[in-house]
Amino acid sequence: MESSKEPPLQGTFECELCGLRVPYSYYGQKPPNTYSVTLLEDSYVMRDPFTPEKDKFLILGSECSLCSKRVCVGTDCSLFYAKRFCLPCANLHLEEFPLEIKQDLEKRIRSKPQSSRKGDSKDRKKK
Amino acid sequence: MECPEEEEEEDTAAAAWDWGHAATRSRLEEAHFPAKAEAAERSEFWAFWERLRRFRGRPAGEKGPGGAGPPARRQGYDARWRINLRLPRGREVAGVPEARVQEFRRALLHFLDFQQKRSFARLAQLQRDRAALPIARFREALLTAVARSPVVVVAGDTGCGKSTQVPQFLLDAGYTHVACTQPRRIACIALAQRVAYESLQRYGNQVGYQIRFESSCSSATRIVFLTEGLLLRQAQRDPTLPGYHVLLVDEAHERRLHGDFLLGLLRRLLPARPDLKLVLMSATINIRLFADYFGGAPVVQVPGRLFPITVLYEPIPPEEGGAGGRKERLDPRPYLRVLQAIDHKYPPEERGDLLVFLSGVAEIGAVVEAAQAYATHTQRWVVLPLHSTLSVAEQDKVFDMPPPGVRKCIVSTNIAETSVTIDGVRFVVDSGKVKEVSYDPKAKMQRLQEFWISRASAEQRKGRAGRTGPGVCYRLYAESDYDGFAAYSVPEIQRVALDALVLQMKSMGLGDPRAFPFLEPPPAASLETAVGYLKHQGALDPEEELTPIGSLLAELPVEVVVGKMLVLGTLFGLAAPTLTTAAVLSVPSPFLRSGSGRCDPDCATSRWPLESPLGDPLTLLNLFDAWVQVKSEGRGGSRRWCRRRGLEEHRLYEATNLRRQFQELLRDHRLLEPAARPSDSYTRQRHHRQRRELQRLKREHEQGEGRRRKVLRLQDERAGSSSGEEGEAERGPDIQDVKFQLRHNVSELQAAASAAQGLSRPQLALLQLVLGRGLYPQLAVPDPFNGTRKDSDQIFHTKEKAGILLHPTSVFANSPELLTPDQGAERRRGSKDGLSSRHQVLAFVSLLETNKPYLVNCLRLPALQALLLLARSLDTNADCTRIVADSWLELQVPAAALQLLSTALRLRASWEEVLGQQLACRRRGLGSQAEGAAERGPSSRQVGQLTRELLTFLQTEVQYGLRRLTPLEQQHLYVGPTVATAVGPPSLFQGMEMVPDEVKGGYKVGGFLTFHCLAGEGDLYAECLRSFWTCPRCGLYMPFTPLERVAHEDACRPPGPEGEEPSPAGLSEDVVQGPSGASALQRPYDCPTCRQQLLLTPTEILRHRKQHQAPPEG
Repeated sequence: MESSKEPPLQGTFECELCGLRVPYSYYGQKPPNTYSVTLLEDSYVMRDPFTPEKDKFLILGSECSLCSKRVCVGTDCSLFYAKRFCLPCANLHLEEFPLEIKQDLEKRIRSKPQSSRKGDSKDRKKK
Repeated sequence: MECPEEEEEEDTAAAAWDWGHAATRSRLEEAHFPAKAEAAERSEFWAFWERLRRFRGRPAGEKGPGGAGPPARRQGYDARWRINLRLPRGREVAGVPEARVQEFRRALLHFLDFQQKRSFARLAQLQRDRAALPIARFREALLTAVARSPVVVVAGDTGCGKSTQVPQFLLDAGYTHVACTQPRRIACIALAQRVAYESLQRYGNQVGYQIRFESSCSSATRIVFLTEGLLLRQAQRDPTLPGYHVLLVDEAHERRLHGDFLLGLLRRLLPARPDLKLVLMSATINIRLFADYFGGAPVVQVPGRLFPITVLYEPIPPEEGGAGGRKERLDPRPYLRVLQAIDHKYPPEERGDLLVFLSGVAEIGAVVEAAQAYATHTQRWVVLPLHSTLSVAEQDKVFDMPPPGVRKCIVSTNIAETSVTIDGVRFVVDSGKVKEVSYDPKAKMQRLQEFWISRASAEQRKGRAGRTGPGVCYRLYAESDYDGFAAYSVPEIQRVALDALVLQMKSMGLGDPRAFPFLEPPPAASLETAVGYLKHQGALDPEEELTPIGSLLAELPVEVVVGKMLVLGTLFGLAAPTLTTAAVLSVPSPFLRSGSGRCDPDCATSRWPLESPLGDPLTLLNLFDAWVQVKSEGRGGSRRWCRRRGLEEHRLYEATNLRRQFQELLRDHRLLEPAARPSDSYTRQRHHRQRRELQRLKREHEQGEGRRRKVLRLQDERAGSSSGEEGEAERGPDIQDVKFQLRHNVSELQAAASAAQGLSRPQLALLQLVLGRGLYPQLAVPDPFNGTRKDSDQIFHTKEKAGILLHPTSVFANSPELLTPDQGAERRRGSKDGLSSRHQVLAFVSLLETNKPYLVNCLRLPALQALLLLARSLDTNADCTRIVADSWLELQVPAAALQLLSTALRLRASWEEVLGQQLACRRRGLGSQAEGAAERGPSSRQVGQLTRELLTFLQTEVQYGLRRLTPLEQQHLYVGPTVATAVGPPSLFQGMEMVPDEVKGGYKVGGFLTFHCLAGEGDLYAECLRSFWTCPRCGLYMPFTPLERVAHEDACRPPGPEGEEPSPAGLSEDVVQGPSGASALQRPYDCPTCRQQLLLTPTEILRHRKQHQAPPEG
C-alpha cells in the first residue's frame, strides 16, 4: 500500500513478508481506550476482534528497526527483542543476539514448514 | 524496570506470603485492571498466573542460561525484552510489598503478551484458512465480473467457500447495502455469525441478519443475510428494493418456491434498477438454466474442495426392504450393518463421524432406536437424530464433539444435504429416499410421499463424506437404481400449492400470474387451482383483482384461511383469542410425538384438562393460554410444564412471536386498537429496569455463544431424543425465556390469556363460528356409519375426497362421540330417519396424506347453522325443505326451513355489511390520517345486534338430516334452465330480487342462494298440486302449492331489518306484517279472476285468490 514513512491513522496493514492483509484502526504507541498500556514501538493496531471488550486491542505489526519493512508480529515474519526485527534482518545479525534468541530463531527456521501456531505456543512456554 | 535476579532471594519468604488470598488479589486487580474489565478476564489472568508460577518452579528457569550466555547486543538476556508492551507507571498497593507488586506486574505483562499472541495466531489462522479456500483464487475474476455485468452466476460445489467468501469479497471491494438471501432462517444466522467472525467484525455491526422475528441490523450494517421470503416481503412493500445495491441469491439451485419467484421478480426489476448488482450462487447443478434466464450472464465456476470418496453400492436385500407391506416400519438392519462394518474396519482412534440420510421422521426413529441399542452395547457411538421438527437445541447437538474413541452417528433427513453442514463426517449412508410434500390440486391435499432422490442429491449426499478428508459413501441401492434416478429434483414450484404465491403476486401488481416469466413455469393446473381457490375465499373478485380482504391477507405471512380468521375475529371483540389461535395454528404442532408415533400416556393425561370439546384450534388456544399463565407466574417453570405435557416449548415461543406480528399488522391496518401504554411512571421505570436486566442476560448469553462446543456424553440407556438432556438445559437462566420476556409484553399476553380462559359459552360459540368462517370451505362430514366403527377408524369425507381419518393428535380422535349427532334422549327419537338437531361438520386447517389421508386441526360446527351462514352456494327445492350446500351436502329440514334460510340470509347480509365497513374504514384510515379518528368502522350497536342475532341463530334447535350427496347425485343435482318456468314467483325473502338462474334453473336470490333449482323431487306435477296446510303463525288453513306455501311462510313473519328476530322458540309473538316492511313487500297484482289491479303482499295475494276459490271449496 502506501510507502510513506508516516502511515495514515487507518487503513489496511499488509505484511511485506507473508502478505497478511488486515484493516487497522490505529498506528502509534498509545492505542485508544487501553487502560494506559503503551507500546514500545509504533505499531499497527486494531480492536481485538476475538473479544467483546471494546478496549482490547491487537497489535498487527510494525516496521523493522533495521530495514523499515512493514512486518506482522507473526513468528514467521518478525521478532521483538527491545526492537522489532524482521526475520531476514534478524538472521543477518544472528550473532549479535543472546543465545536464547539465537536458539529460538534457529528453531523457527527448522519448523517453518509447519504451522506457525505450534511455534507460537512453544515460544510462549519458553517465558 | 524489574530485575529478574531479585526473585530467587524472595522465594525463601514465599511460604509466608499467600498469593491465593482473595483480598490481596482483589487489591492488585483493582490497581491494575480497568474497573470494567470482565470477571472472566481476571480469572483467566489468575489461571495464567498459576501456570506461570508452576513453570518458574522448574529448575531450568528462564534465567539460567541468561547469565552464562555470550555477550550480546544487550547485557544478558531477559524475556521481558521480548514484550513490546509497557504497563503504566505502578502505584503502591496497600498491604502488598513492593516486590510482590513487581512480581504481579511482570506476570501481568506476560499475560497481556500472551493474549496478544493468542489473538494474533487466531487472526493469522483465519486468514490462512480463508486463503486456502478454492474460491480465494477466483476473487479477482469474480469482482471483475461483478463490476462489468449486472448479473453474475457463481457456481461452486460444496466446500468451495462461496457462501462465506463472496459476501466478504464484495465488502472488501467497497460494496455496501448488500443483501444475501438464504432459503432457511437458520442459515441466515449462522452465516452472519461466520462472516462477521471472519471479517473480524464479530463484535462490530457491519454484518447482520434479518429473519422473521429477529433482526441484528442497524444503520451501520453493510451486509445483511435474510431469508428469500423476507426479501419478497420487502419487495412487496417497495418493488424496486431501493435499500440494496447488491443482491446475492445463495443456494439458487435448491429451487425453492420463494427462490424461484425471487429470481423472476429480480429479472423484471433489473431494467428499472440498472445500478443493481445481482449475484446468483449455486451448486454446479443446471447452471445454464440460470445463466440463460438472465440473458447469458457470465458464470464464475469454482471447483469444490472435496477429498476422494469411495462409493459402495449395497442394495437392501428384498427381505429387509419391507416389500411385503409399505406401511411397515423401516427395517434398521442394513443401517446397523454399516455401523458394524465401520467398527470392524476402522480403529476408533481414526476419527470420523457417520451421517445417515433417511426419508422421514418415522424412519429416523426406527434407525435411531436400533442404533442406540447397538451403541449402548459397543460404547463406540453417540446416536443423534436430526430433522426440522426437533428443537433448535437438539439440532445443535450434532455439532458437539463426541468423546475420544467414539463416533457420532447422525441420522438425518435431507436437511443435512444442503442446509446443515457438519464437519468431521467421514462416512455417509444414503437410503436414496426422500419424502417430499406434493400438492394434489384436485383433492386440495398436501401429500407427503417418499420418492427416490435425484442424481444431483445423491451426489450432494455423497459429498458430505469428503469435506474434511477422504470418505466413504454407502449407497443402499444398486448402481442401476442410481442410473435410473432423475438428473435433478423437481423444483418446489412444480409440486406445491400456489395460493400464497398467487396472492403475493397479485398484491405486488404483477398482473396475470399465468403470464409471469418464471424460471420454469408451474403447471397451469396449479395456477388455475390457486386462482380459483382465492376467488372462492373472497380474496380475488371475479375479475381476479384483489379484494380489500385479499390485500390484507396478502400481507399476512400465513395461510389464507388463518388470515381470514384474524380479520373476522377483530369484528366481534374476539381479537385476542383469534390472534392466539391463528398463531398457534401457523406453527408446527407443539405436540411432541415419540419416534414410534404414540404418545406417552402420562402426557396424554396431563394434556387432557386443556382439551376443548369444540376442537383442536380451541385446544391449542387453551394450551397457549395456560402456558402464558405459567410463564407469567415466574421464570423457569414453563420448561418443566411443557415437558410434562409432551409439548415442544419452542413452538410456543414461535407462536408468541407470530401472534405479536399478527397483532402489529392488524394494528397497522387499524383493525385493532393501538397498544396501551403503561400508565404511571413508576410502572414504566420498573419495566425499564427489568428490561435492562434481561438485556444484560441476553448479551451475556450471546457472548458465551460459539465458545462452547460441548462434548457429548455417551448415552447409557435409550436416552430418548429429549428426555436425557433435561438437567443440562435446566442450568442457568433460560435464554429462551429471557428473549420471550424481552420481546413481549408479558402482562398484556397474560391479560389476553386469562380473558380467553374466561370466555363465556356464547363467546366461545361465536369464536367457533369465526374460526369456522375462516376455515371455510375446508369442511368434512362424518361418515353416517361411524357409530359402528371403533374410535380410530372414524372416517370423514370432504367434497373432493372420501374416506379421510382424523389425525391422531386430534381431540376428536380420542372422543369421537363429540361428533355423533345422536346423544342420549335424541337417539330414540331421531335415529331412524337420521333427523337430529345436533349434526356436526368439521372445519379443518389442512389435509395431509402420509400413509393415510388425515384431517389436521379440526373444529366442529353445528352443521345446519354453519352451512346456512357460510356456504358459498345454497340450493333449495320448491318448499326449501331440501337444501344443498355447495353442491355436496344435503340438508333435509322438514320444518321451519324457510324461516331459517331467511334469517340466515339477513344475518349474512348484515355480517357482510359490518365487515365491509370495517375493511373500508381501514382503507380510508390509511389514506388520510386526519380522517382516521372519525371513521371508526361499524357502530358498536350494529355489531352488538349482529352478535346477538348470530348467537340466537346458532342456538336454534331444529330437527334435520345431513347427508353427503353421492357423486352421481352431485352430477344430476339441478333441474337446469329449460325446466324453469318463466313466470316470476312471488317475491320471497323479504323482497330480494329473484332472477332465473341460467345454469341451475330456479331463481337466484342474492349472491349464493338459488331457489327451487333442485331436480329429482320425483313427481313432475308436484309443483302444481295443492295440498292443505295450516300456517303455524296466522292459523290460516287452505290448500297451497309448495311455492305458495313458501311465499306465505315468508310473508307471514315480521319482515324488515328493524324487526326483532323472534327468539328461537318464539314463533308465537305473531306479528303478521311489520308496519315498515309491509310496503316493501307489496307488488302490483293483476287478479285474473276479478280483473282488479291491486297492490298486495304475497300473503294478501294468496288471501285474495282464496276469496275467489272459496265457493267451490265450501
